Amino acid sequence: MIAALVIVPIVAGLLLYALPRSAEAAAKWAGVVISFAAFLAALASYGAPDESVRWLQRPFTASFHVGLGLGPSYWLVLLLTLSTGCALMVTRLPRARDFVAQMLLLLGAMTGVFVARDLLLFALFWDLMLIPVFLVLVAWSPTKTSGTAWKYLIYNLCGGLALLLSTAAYGVVQGTTDVIGASPASLANISPVWSLWIFAGFAFAFLIKTPVWPLHTWMPDTYADLPAPMAAVVSAVQSKAGLYGFIVIGAPLFYASMRSVAPLMIALGLIGLLYGAFAALVQDDMKRVVAYSSLSHLGLIVLGIFSFNPVALGGAVVYIIAHGLFSVGLFLAIGEVETREDTRLLSRLGGLGARNPRLAGGLTIVALAALGLPGLCGFAGEILILTGVYAAGYVWQTIVALVPIVLAAAYMLRLFQGAMQGPEVADLPQREDLSPVAMAALVPLAAAIVLLGVNPGPVAASSARVVAKAPHWIACPAVGGVRAYVQGTSASSDLNAVDALACREATAAGGAK
Amino acid sequence: MTPQLVIPYTSADWTPLAPAFVVGAGALVVLLADLILPRNVRRASAISLGTLVLVVAGIVAAREWGHPYAAFAGAFVNGGFAIVFEEIVVLGAIFSLLMAYALGRDDQVGGAIALMLWSATGAMLMAGASNLLMIFLGLELLSLALYCLCGLGPRGSARESALKYLVLSSTATGFLLYGMALLFGATGSVSLAALAGPVWSVPLFDLGCGMFLIGLCFKLSLVPFHVWTPDVYEGAPLPVTAFMSVVTKAGTLAVVARFAYAALPAPAAHQILVPLWIVAALSMIVGNVAALAQTDLKRLLAYSGIAQLGYIVAALAGTTTFGLRYAIFYLGAYTFMNLGAFGVIALLSRDRDEGSHLRSYAGLAYRQPVLAWMMTFFLLALAGLPPTAGFVGKILILASTVDAGFVWLGVLLIVGTAISAYAYLKIVRTMFARTTGAPIQRPFKPASALPWFGVAFCAIATFVLGLYPIAPSDVLPLVK
Repeated sequence: MIAALVIVPIVAGLLLYALPRSAEAAAKWAGVVISFAAFLAALASYGAPDESVRWLQRPFTASFHVGLGLGPSYWLVLLLTLSTGCALMVTRLPRARDFVAQMLLLLGAMTGVFVARDLLLFALFWDLMLIPVFLVLVAWSPTKTSGTAWKYLIYNLCGGLALLLSTAAYGVVQGTTDVIGASPASLANISPVWSLWIFAGFAFAFLIKTPVWPLHTWMPDTYADLPAPMAAVVSAVQSKAGLYGFIVIGAPLFYASMRSVAPLMIALGLIGLLYGAFAALVQDDMKRVVAYSSLSHLGLIVLGIFSFNPVALGGAVVYIIAHGLFSVGLFLAIGEVETREDTRLLSRLGGLGARNPRLAGGLTIVALAALGLPGLCGFAGEILILTGVYAAGYVWQTIVALVPIVLAAAYMLRLFQGAMQGPEVADLPQREDLSPVAMAALVPLAAAIVLLGVNPGPVAASSARVVAKAPHWIACPAVGGVRAYVQGTSASSDLNAVDALACREATAAGGAK
Repeated sequence: MTPQLVIPYTSADWTPLAPAFVVGAGALVVLLADLILPRNVRRASAISLGTLVLVVAGIVAAREWGHPYAAFAGAFVNGGFAIVFEEIVVLGAIFSLLMAYALGRDDQVGGAIALMLWSATGAMLMAGASNLLMIFLGLELLSLALYCLCGLGPRGSARESALKYLVLSSTATGFLLYGMALLFGATGSVSLAALAGPVWSVPLFDLGCGMFLIGLCFKLSLVPFHVWTPDVYEGAPLPVTAFMSVVTKAGTLAVVARFAYAALPAPAAHQILVPLWIVAALSMIVGNVAALAQTDLKRLLAYSGIAQLGYIVAALAGTTTFGLRYAIFYLGAYTFMNLGAFGVIALLSRDRDEGSHLRSYAGLAYRQPVLAWMMTFFLLALAGLPPTAGFVGKILILASTVDAGFVWLGVLLIVGTAISAYAYLKIVRTMFARTTGAPIQRPFKPASALPWFGVAFCAIATFVLGLYPIAPSDVLPLVK
């Protein structure tokens, strides 16, 4: 069942080429149906047992081992299938059949990344998910050259190959790569020297993919050149693969190395946070505004992961999903603006809201979620991360991290006002408001944004299993108000596990004193 | 008492050589058929007879599995190792033969295929050769047929190719022969098994090993002995290029592996072989860097082959048992992905016009999506990207280098792979990019089912080997 989530989209994507080239609508709706079917199948697979088939016996054991049970996997697969489905609904591109095929290949490969429970399988899908994006950048590039495609590919492939080398080294040293989500007892310790080098390979791949400053330069170009539906999926989900890797591979397997580089990572996260926010303030291209805002938001998540606090980690997972939801919305809305006005430059646009109230409404919801309005998903993640980081003892870092949150309001409102408000620009084409289909694509996203905003508990709690698996996770007691906020909205027993762990370790620490 | 004539072998000694004999004799049948059959069926008969001969040889070889035997006083050692290489040679020859369907003149095909079969015979002899004379016999049989094959075809570049190959390859053979003479001088034996005995501290031995390995590196086209490769590959007819890129390499690799693993005394082996690992590292980097600038696919695949052989030799580093198995696995994977890529080129070719220029691929994804995706798949495999046997093969080689303590080789392999990605994906980019201006409208020749079958088989094998990486576990004994 879980394996089918990976295989069916890939096979379907290849089979789409059997359709005649003119069958664009049929291909598009086939893609939509497969994506939402995958969404429902994933939704129903909560708690499904892992599936495993042996792959390699020597030089180390490796398996085709997939599962949804580990922490953020479940939510990320839901986010992925939902965003692919919504993005496909609004697809209006030339050569749509080929594009839908690439989207389905991407869906299958990325699902593979999030369900893989074996490092080698993870590395396989990690490299595989580059290919469809590369092909789309090449074939649907707005320019005649493929500079962006090469930039994307070379950056990410370098990361992917470092990950491959580290996987091989890990397999040789440990004798198996079937370790993602394994219980702490079955994880042998690696010697510190090997551990740091092997972790460095993984971290390099994760940092490029996220991306974290200063390895981010492929991102704005890629997002700007990708067609909006794929930009939405790549920004919402593919960029999360790196953070996901830090949470489920870095923290449990390379705990000591992770901790030793935490100051550096927090510094890089803070720089990205500030740099992205300031850069987003001055971009003219709407897609680039969102790209740099992503850099800023992802920096905050890096902060949350590397503060080694259960609350911050829960917040990081919530914000990973939240950022996915609103950036899908933002890119799809920008895509609609672009197909409507043939431009996405803020200096050219203006006054769209008067004639396109539905589009303006949709953009409002996602922009508000992005700037962290309480009650929507962005806020839930931000407050948890900031509280956790503060509780972990990073006081001034928390204060610095507050600055971009103010800036987020500035650049998101600038984006909205620049496109929707002000006098209408006369020389732009005047086209119809959002079609019912496009509205139907935005509705599930808006619903998820609100739902996650008021009830982040289950998603936050999904980090509990990861924390439980990191044997030496140093917990700090959660700040009371936040605990109340999370607990008040959730009856999840997983969350109590986080809490219990936090309390136990806090007591142990107190006892040691 | 009259001296009795003692025959130094028994009839059982002929059994291990049976596959090679089948191929060699089959070539005569192909020639005879070419002589008596009417002109219009010659091409079909030559290809089908040649394929049939090779299939039979493959089956005969497979039946020898599990019956190790040292024939002719240890000159030809049959066992898992030899059989695996023989099968790779047979597969390589079959897929190269199938490409001859679309290319070349009708009246040349029969002779060309007979020559290919003889060349394959030489490679099969090398697969089992465990004495210096047998190695030389196999190598010469392999090379002599190839000199003629390279010169086939109407273009001037074919003659250039043949002459270049003849001169440079003969030089290499000279090195090899001189090395053999020195080894014989140092040890007093031509048998590889005898070399492995005591520790030979004579400088003659080291010098002999060096020259022997230089000769073999020439045949494997490893850097810095690779300069002939692109020109020869470019000038030779496409089926011959494909044949050379796999069969020659498989035969020579068998000799290199046997020499490195079984013929060198253990303590000395580590020092003597260090230059070989350095040569492998250079090949991975130089081959891939040079591939970046190529616009002709045959040249590109020539440089790619240099790098791929570098990966395979790197797997042998440290001469661990696993390393040998992964080298063989990667060689098998390389056979399929490389011949698959050549097969796509063959499918895009018309007579006298090989579809090997990068321009022929502009917008292929919109004209021939199936071919374009197959080509993409083979190129991904060559670049070591999933979901292919190339990916798994690379992981296995990485693991083997790390395991043997050659981490630097693993790092260089990763660097080489990163460079090669651009070279391979440049072709993918050309196939998928929106065509600017009018693309070359190449009337697609719907070739018969056979070349299609070859390409499809290669694609399936490349995929399945990635899922079930079967590395032969029983590749010993090597010499005894």
